[in-house]
Amino acid sequence: MRILLGLFLFPLLLGAQQVAVKEHFLSNGMKVLLLERNDAPSISGGWVARVGSVNERPGITGMAHLFEHMMFKGTPTIGTKDYKKDQEIIAAQEKVRDAMRAEERRMRAMWRRGEITDLQDPEQKTAEWNRLNEEFKKLVEAHREVIVKNEFDRIYTANGGSRMNAYTSYDHTAYFITVPANKLELFMWMESERLLRPVFREFYAERDVVFEERRMRTESTPLGKFFESFNSLFWESHPYSWPIIGWPSDIPAISKKQADAFYATYYMPQNLTLVLVGDFKGKPALAMAEKYFGRLQKGQGLPPDVVTLEQPQKAEKRFYAEAETNPNIDIYWHTPAFGHKDTYPLSVLAQVLSTRTGRLHKELVLGKKLATDTWAWQGARKYAGEFNMGAEITEGNTPEMAEQEIYRLIEQIKNEPVPEKELQKVKNNFAAAEYRRLSSNHPILMQIMRSEGLGNWREINEAGPKIQAVTPADLQRVAKKYFTKENRAVAVYTRKPGTGGAGDDPLLAGLDAQSKAMARKMSSSINANNNLDELKKQLAGLEAQMEQAGAKAPPVMKVIRNVLRKRIAELEKK
Amino acid sequence: MNDKTIIFGWLLALVLPGVAAKIPERPEQLKFPKLTYAPPTGKEYRVPLKSGPVAFVVPNRELPLVSISILVRTGKFNEPKGKEGLAAMTGYLLSKGGTKNHSAEELEERLAFLAAGLSSSVGDTSGSVGVNLLSKDLDEGLAMLREVLTVPRFQKDRMDLYKTQQIQAMKQRNDDSRNIERRELIRLAYGDHFFRSQVTTKASIESITEADLRAFHQAWFHPRNFVVAVSGDFDRQAMVAKLERLFAKWPYQGQAAKPVPTNKQFAKPGVYLVDKEVNQGRVDIMLPGILRDNPDYYAVQVMNDILGGGGFTSRITNRVRSDEGLAYSAYSYCPGGTYFPRTFVAGYQSKSGTVLYAAQIVLEEMRKITQEQVTDKEIETAKASYIQTFPQAFETKTAVAGTFASEEFTGRLAKDPAYYKNFRDKIAAVTKEDIQRVAAKYLTPDKVAILVVGNKKEILKGHPDHPVTIESLTPGGLKDVPLRDPYTLKPLK
Repeated sequence: MRILLGLFLFPLLLGAQQVAVKEHFLSNGMKVLLLERNDAPSISGGWVARVGSVNERPGITGMAHLFEHMMFKGTPTIGTKDYKKDQEIIAAQEKVRDAMRAEERRMRAMWRRGEITDLQDPEQKTAEWNRLNEEFKKLVEAHREVIVKNEFDRIYTANGGSRMNAYTSYDHTAYFITVPANKLELFMWMESERLLRPVFREFYAERDVVFEERRMRTESTPLGKFFESFNSLFWESHPYSWPIIGWPSDIPAISKKQADAFYATYYMPQNLTLVLVGDFKGKPALAMAEKYFGRLQKGQGLPPDVVTLEQPQKAEKRFYAEAETNPNIDIYWHTPAFGHKDTYPLSVLAQVLSTRTGRLHKELVLGKKLATDTWAWQGARKYAGEFNMGAEITEGNTPEMAEQEIYRLIEQIKNEPVPEKELQKVKNNFAAAEYRRLSSNHPILMQIMRSEGLGNWREINEAGPKIQAVTPADLQRVAKKYFTKENRAVAVYTRKPGTGGAGDDPLLAGLDAQSKAMARKMSSSINANNNLDELKKQLAGLEAQMEQAGAKAPPVMKVIRNVLRKRIAELEKK
Repeated sequence: MNDKTIIFGWLLALVLPGVAAKIPERPEQLKFPKLTYAPPTGKEYRVPLKSGPVAFVVPNRELPLVSISILVRTGKFNEPKGKEGLAAMTGYLLSKGGTKNHSAEELEERLAFLAAGLSSSVGDTSGSVGVNLLSKDLDEGLAMLREVLTVPRFQKDRMDLYKTQQIQAMKQRNDDSRNIERRELIRLAYGDHFFRSQVTTKASIESITEADLRAFHQAWFHPRNFVVAVSGDFDRQAMVAKLERLFAKWPYQGQAAKPVPTNKQFAKPGVYLVDKEVNQGRVDIMLPGILRDNPDYYAVQVMNDILGGGGFTSRITNRVRSDEGLAYSAYSYCPGGTYFPRTFVAGYQSKSGTVLYAAQIVLEEMRKITQEQVTDKEIETAKASYIQTFPQAFETKTAVAGTFASEEFTGRLAKDPAYYKNFRDKIAAVTKEDIQRVAAKYLTPDKVAILVVGNKKEILKGHPDHPVTIESLTPGGLKDVPLRDPYTLKPLK
């Protein structure tokens, strides 16, 4: 057996692997996408609502996500033993909550005057709020008597449903499950019922759950809070600037009334797409979809469009954070929206730069040894996109050093065409991925829903040929267009002093991260130097400089002086 | 919009029987067609190769892809003392450090050009080497696989890079509370002396030499220690012939596989608290757990599903999340170990003030399931879920090959060849009495070791509405666990 490490071009010449999705519309305007596959006796089904955090406004940030949680709470017949009583209690709860909201308005005024320091602190609530809260708790207790806990989930589980979940993104919300092939009608019943007449029970306990989700994802992780803050810096005018999970001030202020209005505006059938992937027959499945989902009443027109555009950035933005993390550099550029013609060369470019045989790894990790890890990706959202590159920095170097290298590589892309073979390698991987993605029903469903949520399910078939058509000139063109200083935002992360445990040289104590890196570099060269005379010359020079600078001498000079003295003493002993 | 489709849909609704029927008030009134499913058997794919390994060969001509995965009888337990990290390093560099004939760069470039994935790793109780490629490149891929398996280069610069990356990663050991939780959980569940607790240190990784890698590789990576899973676009006979050539005339002897150690030791009861400045505590309520060969295995799975394994349908999720809003994620698992009992864990993450209150609720639920029978609805739901989701184990041909290779590797295919055939019947046979019996046997609240990673002061302060003392949770009381030096893992003051 011989390995052919050929240097000749060997294009894969794969035929585009089409995903044979069939598109239909129900009588009320709801879109239905069907893909029959008979590998396994199951159906992965779901639906996309073309609504995400981007459709919120200040004051109700987090609504789309909270709403997604509420869609699992049931219907008039699912989730309660006594619907009449259930409704009475919910109405009574809303009344108390209205009174609590009035009190919260008063508390915000107190907060502005400094009479309260933390609106969430249970110990700083007003007496009236606490009284109302006790009243509310009693209603929650009473509600438990008629609630059938998580019945929606239980019905699916008892019928072999699995992977039931949902997610909310900036642009869309998706709900999905896998059921045994004989349970298609159960899926139709359950999903159409919760769309037709959802009941938002346990609304206020669910807000606490969302707060715990926020703590888990954003607040208690080393970088979560910084990512959130940086995202808001990066997006200026666009609603992408607030987090999907919502600002902590807004989550507790959202009311059930607002959730009802949100449902009426965005969950109308013209704004929904049903997707089925798996073991079923198209015609009867479509008829069943009409029977069940056709019940949803067509809304008036379409939901409001997102009109606010991201304003072109005027100047480079820089963000410096000290965090419990290894130093790293994380650079973002504004790029166009999903489906824009420039996104294809940008996606190719991301692959030229990333992966183990990509340019960032070769230059920063293997070559200059500035980084242990690098990344590059193009991310298109529905209304605008982002391109990200970054690196985790090795000991003794600074994020800014890697940053300069990244810019150098970008200039190279702008000035020299990417060689054909390198481009072909990337394209081959895109082509092979078209096969690999077709492994089983669930991941295929997720791809269709994502693409549809971003604006067009057809991209799953149409992106491939557009990627294959990208030329080296396209890469140069998009690099010049988007990778400018004015169009970027740069996050520089350094380790928060006092974290990361031991391992710090006591000689370097008290220096900031950048000086530390500099001192480390110089010490290693000093300690590798055996030339006593040269070292003495260096010491004399440094001391002269320090004398001149006087009190203004940076502390790093002192550290270097100590390193030099130590090394000289060592060599003199020998 | 496509008007034709709409009209067509309406017509169908009128014509097809069933479709025209009224939509019922409740889903129980729906009638479903019968679904029968017979799982594949290992026998139909099993091929004992003359060259040594047993292979599971599953052709699938749907897509032009081939996936080959080789399981290797070795693991972290084979690491000599002081060389912690050697198993994982050998595993990683086998496919990433070049071969005798090709440098790491050449190999990587070629694989990338072919859009082929070549990977290798060694975990706690097994190693794995695999390749995934387009079927047109099969012969070239097999040649690379043979080189990687028999004559790896362990290139010096790749060794150095790997060490740098590992040491860099070590620095972050105390940054994320999740990492602290994972590390301390293993120590408590298996004991400081068990092989899984022998964590890589800066000194151990630095001490590893090329000779160490070669010794580890040549001891364990030989065909007698392999089990192979192959699926994809090929002819069965042709593939068997190719596999025979792949494993023929191995250039070295190797050693017979060693048994996986079982000398684990579970922690004494207590609340083990690691103080970490975060606003949410991570909690694991642990018990020793069971082996998967335990005759109680099926009853334990159903019991755990009702307690905390079944997501929104389980008791812990209902109470901690849905009722009280104390956590986003609250669960339990009791997987059943292959070689040694795998730990039972009931876990959640909650804001500091309600960490202890949520622990009290979870322990209450653990007690309750030992004291009262579960309801008919609960047991039926849990059993139906296991039975009806069962076909997922064989959803793809790669899963079929992989599942049976793993059965062969762990010895169950020989011991219990009808495991998958009988699985649904065994689950169906579990009774409410069984559940209460196994709950009483394995869920012993006075023996729990509770790991908490979070802000000690705030956690102990608790919540004004729900005062809970440590002593009420466990007779073992509070035990402070220090943070550890990220390089040496020695306790920090």
